Amino acid sequence: MKTGILFFFLVLSITVVPPVHPQSKAGSSPDRAGEQALLVRAVMCEEVRNYSPVNPAVVFSISSGRISCFTAFDPVPGKMFIHHNWFHKGTMVTRKTLSLKPPKWSTFSSIQLREMDKGPWFIEISDSQGKIFKTLRFSITD
Amino acid sequence: MPYDFILFLNSIRWQDIVDIALNSYILFRLYVLFRGTNVFRVLTGITLLWILQRIAAAIGLIVTSLAFQGIIAFAALIIIIVFKNELRSVLQTKNIKTILWGLHYKTIKTPIEIVVGSVYELSRRRTGALLVFPAAEDLNEFTQSGIAWHGKISREMILSIFWHDNPVHDGAAIIRGDRITEVGVILPLSKRRDLPSCYGTRHRAVAGLAEQTDALVIVVSEERGEVVVARGNSIIDIHDNLELKQVLEDHAGVSTKPVASRKRENFRLGLAAVLAFFFVSGIWFSFARGLETLVTLEIPVEYMNRSPEMQILETSINDVSLNLSGSGTLIKSIRPEQVKVRLDLGKAVVGSNTLTITPENITLPPGILLKKVTPQVVKVTLDVSIEKDLPVQADWIGKLPEGLILESATLTPSKLKIIGARNVLNKITTIYTEKIQLDNIKTSGEMTVKPALSPASLKIDPGSPDKITLTYVVKHRPPAGNAN
Repeated sequence: MKTGILFFFLVLSITVVPPVHPQSKAGSSPDRAGEQALLVRAVMCEEVRNYSPVNPAVVFSISSGRISCFTAFDPVPGKMFIHHNWFHKGTMVTRKTLSLKPPKWSTFSSIQLREMDKGPWFIEISDSQGKIFKTLRFSITD
Repeated sequence: MPYDFILFLNSIRWQDIVDIALNSYILFRLYVLFRGTNVFRVLTGITLLWILQRIAAAIGLIVTSLAFQGIIAFAALIIIIVFKNELRSVLQTKNIKTILWGLHYKTIKTPIEIVVGSVYELSRRRTGALLVFPAAEDLNEFTQSGIAWHGKISREMILSIFWHDNPVHDGAAIIRGDRITEVGVILPLSKRRDLPSCYGTRHRAVAGLAEQTDALVIVVSEERGEVVVARGNSIIDIHDNLELKQVLEDHAGVSTKPVASRKRENFRLGLAAVLAFFFVSGIWFSFARGLETLVTLEIPVEYMNRSPEMQILETSINDVSLNLSGSGTLIKSIRPEQVKVRLDLGKAVVGSNTLTITPENITLPPGILLKKVTPQVVKVTLDVSIEKDLPVQADWIGKLPEGLILESATLTPSKLKIIGARNVLNKITTIYTEKIQLDNIKTSGEMTVKPALSPASLKIDPGSPDKITLTYVVKHRPPAGNAN
């Protein structure tokens, strides 16, 4: 059973790419203490290219092979962590922690699609305290 | 033996006594209402056929049994069609009291002395006449062209009806009770070839009606002044007025000794009542007390008196196995809806409840006994019912046509208020729609979808809509390398 779960996570191939936004350079952001991170864009897409989501959609064919959850925050007051919680048919299948850096940041998580992944999905985007920024809903189909 | 008899008496329920008594009375009433009619004779014949059919079935004569069954079914239909007039006359001419408990003794109303005197006066004058005295059967379908009269019988009236210059003198007069109800009635002619050659049309008419009905018909010959009486297939020459009087009294059911007649009538009715009782008892025993047969039925358990705030989360079983016994006939006639297992949840609490199935929880058809219940214990888990607002999500299936992207989909309302068991609802985070096919989607649009509630115990709050509007946006996939 444990082997199966490990295998599942391996196959999911969660990819975390925290691209540094061209404008974000460490130490260059003003002091934004007390300010909260703001989610300005969150979409499901087929891939992320040049820091932008490609073909955002709510239905993906299993033949796409891979899908991504793209999130963009502006502002980001300080270094912090967010979570992408992936749910398939109401059951959480993986939780990925991603880091955000000031002054603004975009990041994404991806999964490799398999035949058994067909059905309704949703992703909860939350901060480390569990506050949910947004829930993205989509489906994997034939 | 006496012990067995006591055991037998103990096994009889009050319902059995009512069953036998009620049906015996119904059979007795049928006899009282239809005795003396052709319907009664045909009913008796059908009953005999039925007994023969039961015997044939019991000894394994398959084809004979089926043939009797067919004949009986056909005969029942024939009774209703052929004897509709008799049935109507019996049911319409009697009030409810007479139908339910009146004994309907035959009473004489016809003034026989006046009729006898009139007939012999007609005979003496050589005046032809036809007098019809109906019994139980309706004559309307056998006669025609009658003229309503409704005059009280008197010698003068009878003589005047058959007076040569009276326009109705050629037809028959029908006498019911103390009234002449119709005159100028045309009677059916007999087709018999064995009638004496001296008989003319009037005699053939007398014979014709008597053959087809239970009426008594008197004819007075115009040529010879002879008096002839016809009843059934018998044609009797009457030689004197005493003989005619006797025939009329016999037809009316009157005896020269009225007390003896009443006693005989009472004896007949009593005998009929006793026979009806034994007949119905015999049928009842053949159904209810036949050889014991065992059967096992799987019956779904029904739960009653559940508190509206609670929901059944889980039960250890859905069906119980009932081992039943009874006569073969009754066992074969059991219908599933007659057997019920009902458990009372009136005292059940939130959580797990253990309920024992007792005979009081089981409803069986009359005459069927419960031998065993498996299992005897049912575990029922109950939970409190709560409401929860849940987001709705489209459940897409199929494949979008090549080159298209379903960019967005919006559901209105986006949330539904769902009612269900607390433990169930706490585990549910999303309500999905019914499956939505992608294959036919080519452009952006809107459709109405229904939520698919799972488990089925979940319900949409009456205040929430049960249909959801889905608005979707479809775009063409940009060329490779140009996407963003």
